[in-house]
Amino acid sequence: MTALKGTLPWDWYSGTIPDNAIIDETAYVETTYSFNLYRSHAPVGLQIGKGSSIYLGTMFDVGTYGRVSLGNYSLMNSVRIICDEEIKIGDYALISWNVVLMDTYRVPFNPVERRKELVRIPKRKLRNIDAKHSARPIHIGANVWIGFDACVLPGVTIGEGSIIGARSVVTTDVAPYTIAAGNPARVIRHLEA
Amino acid sequence: MNGEEYSDTTSRLSSKELLQTGYWVDGELPENVRVGSNTIITGDHAFKRFHSRQNPALNIGTDCTLEGVHFAIGKDGHIEIGNYSYFTNAILLCELEIKIGSYVVIGWNTTIADTDFHPIAPAERIADAIACSPLGKNQTRPEIVRKKVIIEDDVWIGPNATILKGVCIGEGAFIEAGTLVVKDIPPRVRVIGNPAQIMGKV
Repeated sequence: MTALKGTLPWDWYSGTIPDNAIIDETAYVETTYSFNLYRSHAPVGLQIGKGSSIYLGTMFDVGTYGRVSLGNYSLMNSVRIICDEEIKIGDYALISWNVVLMDTYRVPFNPVERRKELVRIPKRKLRNIDAKHSARPIHIGANVWIGFDACVLPGVTIGEGSIIGARSVVTTDVAPYTIAAGNPARVIRHLEA
Repeated sequence: MNGEEYSDTTSRLSSKELLQTGYWVDGELPENVRVGSNTIITGDHAFKRFHSRQNPALNIGTDCTLEGVHFAIGKDGHIEIGNYSYFTNAILLCELEIKIGSYVVIGWNTTIADTDFHPIAPAERIADAIACSPLGKNQTRPEIVRKKVIIEDDVWIGPNATILKGVCIGEGAFIEAGTLVVKDIPPRVRVIGNPAQIMGKV
């Protein structure tokens, strides 16, 4: 496998593909603007399989230790990926616009602790929140379809072949071959495998 | 290795020197905006829909980080933001008053609105549609309900959430991602859902 490196010939933005990203040469990345918030220092911070496509508006908001991986033939259209630990998406996944996949709340739950972090942020050159607070990996199986504006919260696993309805908020695991929808999401029905 | 040390090849804020007093990255700050020291505001659309004639129309404290924020403020609108608040791509739609405290975190693509923008009654809505149209230049729009929104200190609001008019969110409350808030939220509770339901304490 050869990987995409450097700049993209069709790109309107003058960015580059991060050095620790392994993007298959058959994958399509619309713009390197998607990596504007990417700051992972993991050995492999981002992996994108063959034939996958990343369209305009997708933002990889990946913290220092974050790792994102996307399988083959997957599609992401304007997805917000907030990752401080691990977000793993399988093959043939379809993820719609304004979907938020977050494996972290970035700040502590306790307001007193949160204040301490918020006081530290303005002292940094780039005002990131890179704490590992409450980061729990998200795993999205193969052949999952997520509707627009949905949110997937930290620690959630979505099984193979499932569908998440538009505007749902997924707070708990979703079994394979299930349709889940609502805020918070609940099972609507099961699908034939 | 920590977050502060990584090298900055494609600065996401600006190529200009950052963190000057009350700095807005993408152009000139409107006159009736007051920004405290060490606060930064970024985003091409921050003041695109800023029409307020109040003075000050927007009063922001010190040490805030407001990235990609939209301040869509009508002519009577007034927004107050405390110190050390951190917003990413928040959309503030204001025709009356939005009051946000200190240490407030607002996630990506969250909308806060203090009005419905159009009347409820069908006949008035027709009048409003005409007044808003290109043919309605000199017509006045009907009265539209506006109720101020208050977000107290230490509130956390996740991405894709929506806060509607007349709501007061109590100090330290935790609003999960994607939540729709239409009623007051007591202090220090965790809420989720459409409409928002209390799921526990903070």
